[in-house]
Amino acid sequence: MSNADELLRIEGIRKTFPGVVALDSVDFDLRRGEVHVLLGENGAGKSTLIKMLSGAYTPDAGRILAGGEEVRIHGAQHSERLGIATIYQEFNLVPDLTVAENIFLGRQPRRFGMIDRKRMEADAAVLLERVGVPVSPRALVRELGIARLQMVEIAKALSLDARVLIMDEPTAVLTSEEVEKLFAIVRRLREDGVGIVFITHHLEEIAALGDRVTVIRDGRSVGQVPASTPEDELVRLMVGRSIEQQYPREPADTGAALLSVEGLTRDGVFHDVSFEVRAGEVVGVAGLVGAGRTEVVRAVFGADPYDQGAVRVAGARLRRHDVSAAMAAGIGLVPEDRKGQGLVLDASVEENLGLVTLRSATRAGLVDLKGQHEAAGRIAAQLGVRMAGLGQQVRTLSGGNQQKVVIGKWLLADTKVLILDEPTRGIDVGAKVEIYQLINELTAAGAAVLMISSDLPEVLGMSDRVLVMAQGRIAGELAAREATQDAVMALAVSSPVSSTTPSTPTTSEVETGRGR
Amino acid sequence: MAADTLKSTTGAGGGAAAVRRLLLDNGALTALIVLLIAMSALSGDFLTTDNLLNVGVQAAVTAILAFGVTFVIVSAGIDLSVGSVAALSATVLAWSATSHGVPVVLAVVLAVATGIAAGLVNGFLIAYGKLPPFIATLAMLSVARGLSLVISEGSPIAFPDSVSHLGDTLGGWLPVPVLVMVVMGLIAAFVLGRTYIGRSMYAIGGNEEAARLSGLRVKKQKLAIYALSGVFAAAAGIVLASRLSSAQPQAADGYELDAIAAVVIGGASLAGGTGKASGTLIGALILAVLRNGLNLLSVSAFWQQVVIGVVIALAVLLDTVRRKAGAAPVAAGTGGGKGRQAVTYGLAAVVTVAVVGATSFLHSGSSSTSNPKVGLALSTLNNPFFVQIQSGAKAEAKKLGVDLTVTDAQNDASQQANQLQNFTSSGYDAIIVNPVDSDAAGPAVRAADKAKIPVVAVDRGVNKATTNTLVASDNVAGGELAAKTVAEKLGGTGKIVILQGQAGTSAARERAEGFAKGLKAFPGIQVLAQQPADFDRTKGLDVMSNLLQAHPDVQGVIAANDEMALGAIKALGSKAGKSVQVVGFDGTPDGLTAVTNGTLYASVAQQPSELGRIAVDNALKAFQGKKVAETVKVPVKVVTEENVAGFTG
Repeated sequence: MSNADELLRIEGIRKTFPGVVALDSVDFDLRRGEVHVLLGENGAGKSTLIKMLSGAYTPDAGRILAGGEEVRIHGAQHSERLGIATIYQEFNLVPDLTVAENIFLGRQPRRFGMIDRKRMEADAAVLLERVGVPVSPRALVRELGIARLQMVEIAKALSLDARVLIMDEPTAVLTSEEVEKLFAIVRRLREDGVGIVFITHHLEEIAALGDRVTVIRDGRSVGQVPASTPEDELVRLMVGRSIEQQYPREPADTGAALLSVEGLTRDGVFHDVSFEVRAGEVVGVAGLVGAGRTEVVRAVFGADPYDQGAVRVAGARLRRHDVSAAMAAGIGLVPEDRKGQGLVLDASVEENLGLVTLRSATRAGLVDLKGQHEAAGRIAAQLGVRMAGLGQQVRTLSGGNQQKVVIGKWLLADTKVLILDEPTRGIDVGAKVEIYQLINELTAAGAAVLMISSDLPEVLGMSDRVLVMAQGRIAGELAAREATQDAVMALAVSSPVSSTTPSTPTTSEVETGRGR
Repeated sequence: MAADTLKSTTGAGGGAAAVRRLLLDNGALTALIVLLIAMSALSGDFLTTDNLLNVGVQAAVTAILAFGVTFVIVSAGIDLSVGSVAALSATVLAWSATSHGVPVVLAVVLAVATGIAAGLVNGFLIAYGKLPPFIATLAMLSVARGLSLVISEGSPIAFPDSVSHLGDTLGGWLPVPVLVMVVMGLIAAFVLGRTYIGRSMYAIGGNEEAARLSGLRVKKQKLAIYALSGVFAAAAGIVLASRLSSAQPQAADGYELDAIAAVVIGGASLAGGTGKASGTLIGALILAVLRNGLNLLSVSAFWQQVVIGVVIALAVLLDTVRRKAGAAPVAAGTGGGKGRQAVTYGLAAVVTVAVVGATSFLHSGSSSTSNPKVGLALSTLNNPFFVQIQSGAKAEAKKLGVDLTVTDAQNDASQQANQLQNFTSSGYDAIIVNPVDSDAAGPAVRAADKAKIPVVAVDRGVNKATTNTLVASDNVAGGELAAKTVAEKLGGTGKIVILQGQAGTSAARERAEGFAKGLKAFPGIQVLAQQPADFDRTKGLDVMSNLLQAHPDVQGVIAANDEMALGAIKALGSKAGKSVQVVGFDGTPDGLTAVTNGTLYASVAQQPSELGRIAVDNALKAFQGKKVAETVKVPVKVVTEENVAGFTG
């Protein structure tokens, strides 16, 4: 039944978790020398599927065939022996070891029982050369940028002589230039006969790179189509309905300035940043990676200190470096690093939703647990969080649903100024639109939204005004109708004031949009 | 959410299923029940109301400490200082009330305030000083222990009677420590489950940055968390001291590790974010049941430690496996669930077999015979002197046909009280006690008196309780002899240093008193320094090396035991026995060898095996209703190179 080119075949796979059927009767196959895209919303079951191939999970039912033989993959090492290498969204690299050590971790070449550093570094250099990344094998992984980390992961996979390479959203954190580099590498691997399972949320990448597409929805494979399928059709398959508008911004009536920032400065990081956000308004913040956008909003929120300037909410000045004061004034922050800063991953949905209101729900030291429970239930239903119950661990939710929880905890606190830092990073199309709707509802209710995003189409599509930051300063402001990708990029690469040199961006890559 | 799960399970399967579910969900509880069944099967004395209450009393101090540590561990910290803080709080209470006449109520407030203050310092160093919790509390461990020694000047202080009632029983059967443990447990559960600070602990432990960015005042919370831990430590210290009727500066030494073990056995993760008061209580009970059961089964003191370590590891292992298994079966229904349940059951079976097998293999199998049963509670077996007492006693017991059970308190007065209690409740015919501390052994010996069990004290007396006889060599007289020996060897003039025993022990005090008395007769002898080296050879070596730096011209050394003397001889090197004369105390085999070799000038020899022999002899006589002398003095003598050949311990 198998043909010689077939590397992998999955038939009728089923996998359940407490209260959730993650996958059910999923079929998939992979041939030599093809890029097979796995498409689906967050929570559709893509990650579960690849974890079964990498040996992290074992299926409850169904078969996995590798090279025509049925296998039960137990453990990552077994998977590696079968020639399957996986690059996860979260990299599996040890920060304080060198690049070469990371590539050969656990398999270091040895001489007389000692690690043969010379050979290891030489071998690593060859692999890095093949990937086309100019990094010294002796560099510490901690010092590398995110794009290079990924290249190191790929080099590691190559060192395993993998016949199957699984890449889970490799482009999510890359700039367009880096994405091009990555594609070149993937194409080369494909020519070498490697089969590649590629997961992405960027539809335009499918046509550019893919051969076939398998769409997964709600844990089932709903179709296999050629990569040339029109995007609208792909979206319809993925979401189960057609999405008319990717950026459904409905401008609301703007009122008085709710948040005003005046001359905010932290030496060496950002300088003289002034702007305001009015009630009912969405202000987007665009800029290159390292332009200081996250640093500014963290300072506004009181999470970090600043040296000069002032932050006012509805005219009242906020104490510097005081999260509680910012919260009391009605500011909320949805941080960039969802898992590291936004959520208590091992706690339940209910506990996470109640985090911000914990203090206000406390009387004489006692928390109103019943009230918290009801509030969490209400907001979870309102946001459509897909979960087994309020008691489910947040860790086990999909990315989009996790983000809804982070936003939800601020909605419960009656937030007037919501700061969103990369709110849709790693989130699928369907959930993105739901979050945009949420932004609309917020502004319609008179709140102000400040949104940082590196996804240019998103900034342009959802903002009423766009601030562009460059080198720690506001390089310019564009109204919605004059904001185009070209205009934003021109400002983003400009040098606003050359008198003092603020910290140069850590990467010089340009974060151009990769939307249509 | 907890309520939901409870409802659904009870509704679905009825009582039996609910119990099974509860056990599967809680590895520690399973382990506790397995232990209880194993112990009841092995020892007829175990499953009695008296003994189970004993277990409760013995768990109380660890449990109360552990409740406090639960707060800290849930918030992803660690508190190593609780044992020392407990001792410090108790010392402050006794010192202010007994020595300075502060009203008892105020003294209790002071003690609790001490706990809070220590906790606040910990919290401040961690939250604002950014010290790792391990380091900050390790520092506090040392500081608090030191302060309690400073305040008490190294001696135990009698505890005010009104507070000591906390160590009594209510209505003749309900021990107050158990009551305090339950109340503190309920408070801990309430704090963790219902209060703002409790819910914050979980958030901070789960993800500190997310908690901060959600508006929790993490630094202030940390202050409060460590202060709470201090309060619980103070409460534990007060309970501990009231059980012993005395505040011991060296009390609760090493208890922090028991407390941490209890918390972790109870299912908390050292990484933070999880943990419950109920789990911690179960953890503390597991430790207490083990110690109690192993005592009852007469398992050798050395093997007890091995068994305890193995059971701790197995209990946590059981919980880990349970968690891995527990993640799947709810929704999966039958599928993979059964296999994993089987793993859990299998592991439980392994634990049972291991515990039952090990204990029945290790215990001496004496319970079936009709010989008189005598318990020997030694202060420590970490010192050759006491090992010789043990061997003398064992030899005599064999000769007389007595079943002898030996326990080792590891120099912990509270643990010794537990062991005495176990002897009493399992109806031993006579008890021989070698008190860790004369005052602290009082309450436990009084309980034995009440049960009409004859008690023989050996080496050290018991205060405020009746013992049938005291078998001892005279430490003060021995100290005088040691001082005289050195002074005479130096010809009445010279410079000497004194190595003292472990601060807070009676042997150290009495010998020091003897040294001082003896030296009065020799005004030409100048004492350059007196430093404690804790009766320990390694410390003797270190302290002597340090003293030599400051006083290279020393001519003589008096050490309060042979172990320290031997350490000092190592430090002196070739000077020992030539330009520096060293005198030790005890006459241990190693000491006598050194005397033969000429490096140790003399040792004031006790005859430990004689002590053991005579003690067993008297215990049997007392049991048989024969008359025994109130005190039996076993002579000490100075052993030098001349008479060493004829001397045997």
